Amino acid sequence: MFSFNAVAQTDTLGPPVSGEYRNITAEQFLLSIEKTTGYRIYFNKPDIDSIHIDLQANNEPLLKLLGRAFAGTGMRFAAGTNREVFLTKGSAINTTLADELFDDLFSKSKKPITASTVNNADSITEENKIAKASLENKLYEIGLRNKGPLTGKATIAGYLHDAKTGEPVIGASVMIEGSRTGVVSDQYGFYSITVPKGRNIINIQSMGIRDTRRQLMVYNDGRMNIDLQPQVISLKNVTVSSERTGLIRGMQMGVQKIDIKSIKQVPVAFGEADVLRVVMTMPGVKTVGEASTGLNVRGGSADQNLILFNDATIFNPSHFFGLFSAFNPEVVKDIQLYKSGIPAKYGGRLSSVLEVNSREGNKKNITGSAGIGLLTSRINIEGPLAKEKTSFIFGARTTYANWLLNLLPNEYKNSRAAFYDMNFNIAHQMGKKDNLYFTAYLSSDRFNLNNDTSYHYGNHNLSVKWKHEFNNKWYTVLSGGYDAYNYDISSERNPSNAYQLAFDINQYYLKLHVNYFASSKHMFEFGLNNQLYKLHPGDYTPLGNKSLIKPDRIPAEQALESALYFGDKFTVTPDFSIEGAIRYAAFNYLGPATVNLYQPGIPKTENNITGTANYNSGSFVKTYHGPEIRATARYVINQNLSLKAGFNTQRQFIHMLSNTAAIAPTDIWKLSDPNIKPQYGTQASFGIYRNFKSNTIETSVEFYYKSMSDYLDYKSGAVLVLNHHIETDVLSTKGKAYGVELLIRKTTGKLNGWFSYTFSRVLLQMNDSTQGVPVNKGNWYPANYDKPHDFTLVGNLRISHRFSISMNTTYSTGRPITLPIGRYFYAGAERTLYSDRNQYRIPDYFRTDFSMNIEGNHKVHQLLHNSFTIGVYNLTATKNPYSVYYTTENGVINGYKLSIFGSIIPYINYNVRF
Amino acid sequence: MKKISAALFAIWVLAFACREKYVPTLNEPTTGYLVVEGFINSGSGPTVINLTRSTKISGAASIVKETKALVRVENKANTTSFPLTETSSGIYTNPQLSLNSSDQYRIYIKTTDGKEYVSDYSAVRRTPDIDSLSWRMENGGIQTYANTHDNQNKTKYYLFKYEETWEFTSRYPTQLKIYNDRQGVPNHVGYRDSSNPIYDPKLFRCWKTNIPTTIMTYTTEKLSQDAVSLYPLAYIEPASWKLGILYSIILKQYALSQEYFRFLDQMRKNTEQLGSIFDAQPSENIGNLRCLSNANERVIGFVEVSEEKQQRIFISNAQVPGWGYNNQCEDQVAIPNQPDSIKIANGLPTTVAFGGRSGLDVVYFAPALCVDCTLRGVNTKPSFWP
Repeated sequence: MFSFNAVAQTDTLGPPVSGEYRNITAEQFLLSIEKTTGYRIYFNKPDIDSIHIDLQANNEPLLKLLGRAFAGTGMRFAAGTNREVFLTKGSAINTTLADELFDDLFSKSKKPITASTVNNADSITEENKIAKASLENKLYEIGLRNKGPLTGKATIAGYLHDAKTGEPVIGASVMIEGSRTGVVSDQYGFYSITVPKGRNIINIQSMGIRDTRRQLMVYNDGRMNIDLQPQVISLKNVTVSSERTGLIRGMQMGVQKIDIKSIKQVPVAFGEADVLRVVMTMPGVKTVGEASTGLNVRGGSADQNLILFNDATIFNPSHFFGLFSAFNPEVVKDIQLYKSGIPAKYGGRLSSVLEVNSREGNKKNITGSAGIGLLTSRINIEGPLAKEKTSFIFGARTTYANWLLNLLPNEYKNSRAAFYDMNFNIAHQMGKKDNLYFTAYLSSDRFNLNNDTSYHYGNHNLSVKWKHEFNNKWYTVLSGGYDAYNYDISSERNPSNAYQLAFDINQYYLKLHVNYFASSKHMFEFGLNNQLYKLHPGDYTPLGNKSLIKPDRIPAEQALESALYFGDKFTVTPDFSIEGAIRYAAFNYLGPATVNLYQPGIPKTENNITGTANYNSGSFVKTYHGPEIRATARYVINQNLSLKAGFNTQRQFIHMLSNTAAIAPTDIWKLSDPNIKPQYGTQASFGIYRNFKSNTIETSVEFYYKSMSDYLDYKSGAVLVLNHHIETDVLSTKGKAYGVELLIRKTTGKLNGWFSYTFSRVLLQMNDSTQGVPVNKGNWYPANYDKPHDFTLVGNLRISHRFSISMNTTYSTGRPITLPIGRYFYAGAERTLYSDRNQYRIPDYFRTDFSMNIEGNHKVHQLLHNSFTIGVYNLTATKNPYSVYYTTENGVINGYKLSIFGSIIPYINYNVRF
Repeated sequence: MKKISAALFAIWVLAFACREKYVPTLNEPTTGYLVVEGFINSGSGPTVINLTRSTKISGAASIVKETKALVRVENKANTTSFPLTETSSGIYTNPQLSLNSSDQYRIYIKTTDGKEYVSDYSAVRRTPDIDSLSWRMENGGIQTYANTHDNQNKTKYYLFKYEETWEFTSRYPTQLKIYNDRQGVPNHVGYRDSSNPIYDPKLFRCWKTNIPTTIMTYTTEKLSQDAVSLYPLAYIEPASWKLGILYSIILKQYALSQEYFRFLDQMRKNTEQLGSIFDAQPSENIGNLRCLSNANERVIGFVEVSEEKQQRIFISNAQVPGWGYNNQCEDQVAIPNQPDSIKIANGLPTTVAFGGRSGLDVVYFAPALCVDCTLRGVNTKPSFWP
């Protein structure tokens, strides 16, 4: 390899050239030389546009001639060993390292001679390692050099890593400069991009890392891992810079991604950074109130969200009866919410998928952090188990809320509450093509009421994932795991009816996913999912030998849910692309089971049970199946504007039974069975995306229309716990939801944040008299979480490198409630008369929160990094009603409104990183 | 579950939440639906049906009686019927029915506007006897309990009602009263009965009755025996005046059908149990009555055949040593028996402080509640009182 600036190391200056080059453009000159010498000369046309050549050569060595021709123009050049010359403006290309960049499969070439050029830095020379491209000003060679002309395309693939911690960089955009081709790194930090052979520059952008570029010389397919420099915390702006163009260019619509840094900036009650609360600030996401972590996404109910923590399904994502979400903020890396355009690999829920991704653990050093708040403390430790190959991360959180309970009156003084959660993840690299991931999650909540009724619930999750790459184009992921949720309640106060009530749901799964980067136009993915459910819907047992309680057990339920999917990301032109997938889902309700039979055509009531049918273990009691369609199309109008449209259908075979407005800890899950049909939903959406001010301000407007069928609602006075014939208490309704979501997000600068506005409606209808008395006379009625208007403003202002303030303001229409239409006297008291459901609304909701983040000093090399968060929740002390209700007290009807947080809630949090 | 949600509610409310009275603007229809309360008595005793109308929720509370209706109990074959007569406004009574225990019966109502209402037919149901009405000291107070069982395991659904009655006396007996002048202004204090200056027993000894307004239902559906053990009834707070002398509680017990149980349970949930965070939402509650003349008209209530079983117990102050009842009456104040002083005196006169020349020169005054027991109860002794 040669470099003009390093003549000392060259033994030749190239072949002699003779000829007369009179008043021609530089391009013509170079092309002519290429012809006569057989050398290939690489240059950037705009660089030499203005240069004219007027000279004569007489057996002059090539490099000398070029030196003469471009003298004083600022053009530099470097020669390679393979009859090639690179012409660049400013500094010469460093052509070292090419050897290392070959994947071993392809690389057989000899070690290159290194040449020192401007900006040359350390190179990675360790043998038998996939090279890490960490420098911007080096030219990296990809693939085996071949003699022929560089035509056609090649695929480059590899991993993006954080240079500091070695963790994968997920969701980074990798774009080829000067073209509109780009890809996004996946959840493993893996990317695969098809580029034209020859000289390329790729730009890499992602949240939390510095924007960077790499210069490539692509001969053939090859591997390149890229190390990226993280942005130093708080020194530069933090939020999304990567998604700047991503929003315009990405295929996805109806997707919100938020990293933990942004999550931590949003003020919340008690200062506990809360993943789910932040999700609620995004357009299209609502909740019934502050005591609930249940999300209502685009008119869906809380059980229509698939909440995944590193692929593990979390059935109850809340602690302390909904006050906190069950995810430790020290371990979470980011979250991604799919409101539409749900990837084909996910299914089984109607409304949304919320991915909560944990970090992988520092691959280089043992580090950790700890935090102390008013109600909880948390810690995390991470580090390598085997240098650069295996890392772990462990997080734990616990509470000491008992002081709060001690403030209660005597009646409740002996109550106790506690929760904890733990995460443990291992990421292991086995060779170059295999990665293994292990995730364990455990959460537990305990509550004891005056040494009387004790209450417990918890999630348990385990998952193992193996990723194997066949080559740059093919990779496969095989994952398996176990998800469980259980609760139990017991009371021993009265020995004659001391009891325990237990519920659990277990899910075992095995999933195979294959990705095939077929060409620059097609990216295929397909796979197979299998899940086996096992539920114990209710187990009521006596406690102690004095108890008269009759054991009552609802028979266990089991089912198999399977899905096969196939999808293609088809880039028709760089401006127009389509992503289409079909997913075929099947659900088998399995024996052993005893199924109640009802007289057809009339409402299902206990009196209409005509008999029961018994099924043996393993037999298929009932099968539901059908296709689901996932389709998105994107059209880029210009660099700052694009249009997207989507259509998807979903099936849901598992239902949460709850007739309270909030997710209650006593809610149970129910499988579809011969008497309860699966839910089915269809969504069509359309969006316009526009960026302003060099992509620093992103705006989007999305419209959607959704319809749902066999959505469960409840008969008046439904009994859900320990009900042996639950189908007699539920109604299957139709639903429709529609809305517009507007988001304006400023991602950079001292002042950043977002504003979102949503208009949305969700209406239900039950007009089928064969099911029972029609609800509200068969008219459409609003669902519990129908809140038409919703504004949220989240803003962060960085005053100095160590001090920033955040503010969060939200307003929404009050949720619908059922209020009485009259009163009457009965059983010695005045009673309220209820009629149509959800015909009134509680007063509108308004809240402002404020917080200050104070960072310790920013010396990189110190033992501990401290930070404080001081904040105020509900700054205006607005008494936002959670509910309005009427109750008969001492024979008189009184109306009340109940606020969860009726006053200002201050908090302080101390965090330390080590 | 109930208890848990109540407790969670309490914790939320007390710890962070806040509850305020609230009166939303409601677009109320003029409902005026017929409300039917009562049961067809299969045992001994009268059958009483109470007819009222529902009213708007805003505005002053009032009970609108449905008068002059035609009410009767019919059997399924419509071969026999028993008329109920309106004994007082809106209350229709038949002193004693004689029902055939293998037949089914319903209530029939025809209101003055010509509309006809009926209940579903109901089988004749018997109520098991009350095993005991027990009590014990708990946290310094007295908790009373109902205990019953059905050997045949048939009853399963129970409704309990109780009434408390207690005797009490005034702190200060009185022999005096205030006499007004011609203008009606208090003028002087004299003996209540000048011929016989005794303490007036009518203001001294009284009885008070309390009927709770909550619906108390219980089911043994989840128990291995159809037995109700220690179902909590009234709780007498420590040192309560209820046990100052003698206390009595009567328990009334009814067997219910499952449908009636659910109806009452839902009514309780709708009206007594709301407001916690995890409560079920209120919903329409449909009874077993319908309007024959207009199928869309709502009728509120549930009428079926049942039987009332009763038991009464007494608890005397002597049975609870150290009860520590304190009437919390202030000391008496001596006041000169002159118009100027009497005019501004608070409370009622009790007895002579200093006789002097008139024999009533200075008299004692005490707060009215400590003197006149009829302000808090009635002075006619209940028939069941020993």
